Amino acid sequence: MKFSIFDFLRTICTTIDKTHRSNVCALTVTEVEELQNVFALLLLGSFIGLPSPPSFLAVELLPYMQKELEILNERAQDANDKMAEMFGTLGIG
Amino acid sequence: MKILFFTGKGGVGKSTLAAATAWQLSKKHRVLIVSLDPAHNLGDIFGVKVRGEMRFSETLYVQEVDLKKLSQDYLKREIKVLSDSYKYLQVLNLDTYFSVLKYSPGIEEYALLTSIEKTIRAESGFEYIIFDTPPTGLTMRFLALPQVTVTWIDRLAQIRQKILEKSYTIQNIMGPQSEGETLLSYDEKDDDILGKLVSLKSNYQSLNKILQGSICSIVLVFNPDMLSLKESMRLIEGLKELHLPLRLLLHNKICLDNLETADRVEKELSKVTSAQLERIMFRPEFQSNEDSALYYIKEDLTKYF
Repeated sequence: MKFSIFDFLRTICTTIDKTHRSNVCALTVTEVEELQNVFALLLLGSFIGLPSPPSFLAVELLPYMQKELEILNERAQDANDKMAEMFGTLGIG
Repeated sequence: MKILFFTGKGGVGKSTLAAATAWQLSKKHRVLIVSLDPAHNLGDIFGVKVRGEMRFSETLYVQEVDLKKLSQDYLKREIKVLSDSYKYLQVLNLDTYFSVLKYSPGIEEYALLTSIEKTIRAESGFEYIIFDTPPTGLTMRFLALPQVTVTWIDRLAQIRQKILEKSYTIQNIMGPQSEGETLLSYDEKDDDILGKLVSLKSNYQSLNKILQGSICSIVLVFNPDMLSLKESMRLIEGLKELHLPLRLLLHNKICLDNLETADRVEKELSKVTSAQLERIMFRPEFQSNEDSALYYIKEDLTKYF
């Protein structure tokens, strides 16, 4: 394939654009994941002893909760390293 | 259509009076009487065997709800949705573990409420639907269920909307990540969870409206004794909190021996409610048990509805 300086420059610009965009969004992405985690916790809180909504509500919504459950699981595993994740998101250190 | 709920402490005569009211009403109207009490005795009162639903007379239908079967049917449906959604678990034979859901608390109340809702919305042409309810505790729990649920749904929907809003912002900034990836949208209809929450909310709100509306009447049955009075007071308080319409108090099993207590009980109750009151006298025929007790209620119970 022929090397084109324009393609090369375009790739550089796109990558810079993407990096900036993802930097801008990083905090919001974390926020959304935390919200999904909170949503799952509220709905399925009885697993860890939180007051929970009528259980049929959890049963009704459970089939659509795959992503929330994954996040819940992930959060439980990463619980010890929360500070590192926060520092990473905020770009400290 | 009018809906009547007969409530009260266990053993005060709810079923007998509900049956008597149904019998009296059926002389002029088409009536369905439904027993929600797990310990059914409508069949005994009418002197027939009721399996599910039966036609007692031209205008009177009797129904006994099998609560256990109802709960199981509901869970079976939900477990099927779950198993369909997490199909990969079938490979490992793990889907059967969902069956543990049948032990979750609160399912019985929900099944009960679903049964009431189904009967009310069936549009079967009945002018009166009379529910003979289980003892106070369970009755209050299922009557409170629509309101408790709507409160929870509101809170959960708020969080969900925030998630969608933020996801939409992220998507707008980032753009589609790879080819074929779908855009997250802030449209309530595109999110399954919010869609389900919204549809559940509208369903419970309309049910609540029916229960609090003018077509619904709650009848409280009690006896001339202090225990019955205490529980009735609690029930009245509970109904007030839920804004459910208590329309009639039936003072059952009154005889010459307990007239003094009856007066005292009525005086206490009149302090907390202004609902109309009717005394049902205890008659020796009840004890002779020669025929169904149903026909010995002489008081006209239809004039209140």
